[in-house]
Amino acid sequence: MIDALVSLGHGFGVALTPMNLLFIFIGVCLGQLIGALPGLGPSAGMALLLPITFGIPPATAIMMLAGIMYGGMYGGTLTSVLVNVPGEAASVMTAVDGHKLAKQGRAGAALSVSAIGSFLAGVAAVTALVFVTPPLAEFALSFSSPEYFLLAALGITATASIGAGSPIKAILMAVFGLMIALVGTDPILGSARLTFGITELLDGIDFLPVAIGIFGIAEVLASLERSYDSEPIKTRLRDMWLSAKDWTECRIAILRGGTLGFFIGLMPGAGPTVAAILAYVTEKRFSRHPERFGNGALDGVAAAESANNSAAHGALIPMLALGIPGSASTAVLLAALVLQGIRPGPTLLVEQADLVWGLIASMFIGNIILLILNLPLAPAFASLLRIPYEYLAPGILVISLVGAYATTLSLFSVGLTLFFGMVGYLMMKADLPRAPVVLAVVLAQLMETSLRQSLMLSEGSLSIFVQRPLSAILLLLVIGSLLLPVMSMLTRRRAERRMRDETPISIATK
Amino acid sequence: MKTADILSAVVMLVLSGVVFLTTRDLPYWADFAPGSGFAPLWVAMTGGVLAIALLVGALRRQDNPPADWPDRTGWRRVLLTAAGLWAVIVLAPILGLMSTAVIFMLFLLLAVERRRLWPSLFTTAVTTALVYGVFSAWLGIAFPKGVIGI
Repeated sequence: MIDALVSLGHGFGVALTPMNLLFIFIGVCLGQLIGALPGLGPSAGMALLLPITFGIPPATAIMMLAGIMYGGMYGGTLTSVLVNVPGEAASVMTAVDGHKLAKQGRAGAALSVSAIGSFLAGVAAVTALVFVTPPLAEFALSFSSPEYFLLAALGITATASIGAGSPIKAILMAVFGLMIALVGTDPILGSARLTFGITELLDGIDFLPVAIGIFGIAEVLASLERSYDSEPIKTRLRDMWLSAKDWTECRIAILRGGTLGFFIGLMPGAGPTVAAILAYVTEKRFSRHPERFGNGALDGVAAAESANNSAAHGALIPMLALGIPGSASTAVLLAALVLQGIRPGPTLLVEQADLVWGLIASMFIGNIILLILNLPLAPAFASLLRIPYEYLAPGILVISLVGAYATTLSLFSVGLTLFFGMVGYLMMKADLPRAPVVLAVVLAQLMETSLRQSLMLSEGSLSIFVQRPLSAILLLLVIGSLLLPVMSMLTRRRAERRMRDETPISIATK
Repeated sequence: MKTADILSAVVMLVLSGVVFLTTRDLPYWADFAPGSGFAPLWVAMTGGVLAIALLVGALRRQDNPPADWPDRTGWRRVLLTAAGLWAVIVLAPILGLMSTAVIFMLFLLLAVERRRLWPSLFTTAVTTALVYGVFSAWLGIAFPKGVIGI
């Protein structure tokens, strides 16, 4: 524990240099803006800005990108409360009650409780990260190729069982991601796969065109479908004060939402959106006034906002300690590490101590900056919502194209980005989840190489996956994560059948 | 949404077929470890099975919630934007990437979104300066230059 605190102190030394402070500030401001823009989420913003990070040192780049990730959680609140459009998916529950509160003249209270809740939950989650990451990374040093294969597989299968929506669609989209990752030269034997004679495809499809296309371009195209010339509800600085009654009502909601969000953030595939929804539902169950939920419940807003921010921070633990991203945003962050020439995994904490501890310290600083941006400066940020989205969309698209070009200096990459942009747009329309595609693209190579290494070690025997207790547990978790959606589907069908059978009886009894 | 699910399943079934057919000649096993054909085969098989499951589920489903397709104006905006984006790739080697990007932004703001002239010109100028400043001046990226040398 003392070691962790000493390392954190060292991390503050790294994060507090003028250049890093500037980029933390830029990152959280961009996150705040990206979160507030309807239709552009933090993962998309991070993917779009990834090419810019080539020009800055790795630690600075990661601090800035992480700032966008958690800054987006704060920013999404503004649009949800003042316009009734979730700025990003994790603010969907905030839009339900936050806008009702704004209509009742309590926009300031909703924004205030969101900022304070997000700040407290964020700081608590980073504190937990300080103490959980080092022992987990140390434990993970004993991992061998079978454990890595199973961990990567769990990262993909858990997306289906924990994430919202159809599990079949989620796994199918992960398979689509694996297909994308198969394109190029086989990592061990060097054979060309799925290149169709195109020389540019021999190097494989990079993560960046997929992420920029599927998140960035697709989201802008979807946003352009309709006009967002909205008139946000006005709020003043003096409306931001919370009464003692409001605070008493919300403090337990913040604690509950923050704790729940942190644990959900740890799980692969869940992420801030699931955390916010679950925290809102849980708070409604525990609330003394459940009837207020849906009509302007301040504690509902507090729980959802605390949960999404702590989940965003919690998701960094498996990414930093194991090198396994659990969400789309952490997948982009992991890709940023790889692009900077850093090998993610349990050794990251030892080999890149400055980067990891600097990042952790930067999150304390970033959360303080965001609290200031969202309390006294919230009305100023709210006025930015008056700029029509249509003026921003062309700029975002041009940055996407130029960013894609900058990665390889080839127009072929720009074409690939556009192709994935169109695919991503159609996926949105067909209600197909996009996060599993990106997660699979990131994890595919680790999966394939560690599977091969495992089977080489065991001379082709699959028993290597159950020989060590740890790999056996991971295998059970993978199987469990696949069976969970099947079980819940069967239970749901049985309940539906029972309801159908009972209905005629009750009519007959009448 | 039922139609969208059926179409998604068919597309994934075709993709799985393509993966299987184009990689079937690669070695499945090499010495004691999976060969180049191992992963594609399993990915194609899993994709095929899941696509069939999605297809059967969609065909058997009684309810059909409406898909969130845009209205006519929405379609016009999306299609014109997509066409404009592809035109950037075609025109960039001829006119230069930055010049094409400027034309694309003005096309999007004035023709597709029907925004006012002066704010559109101002937005385009600010974005161009930002993109040029970050990517060219700071990161030193050499953009494709066209016939006019920009």
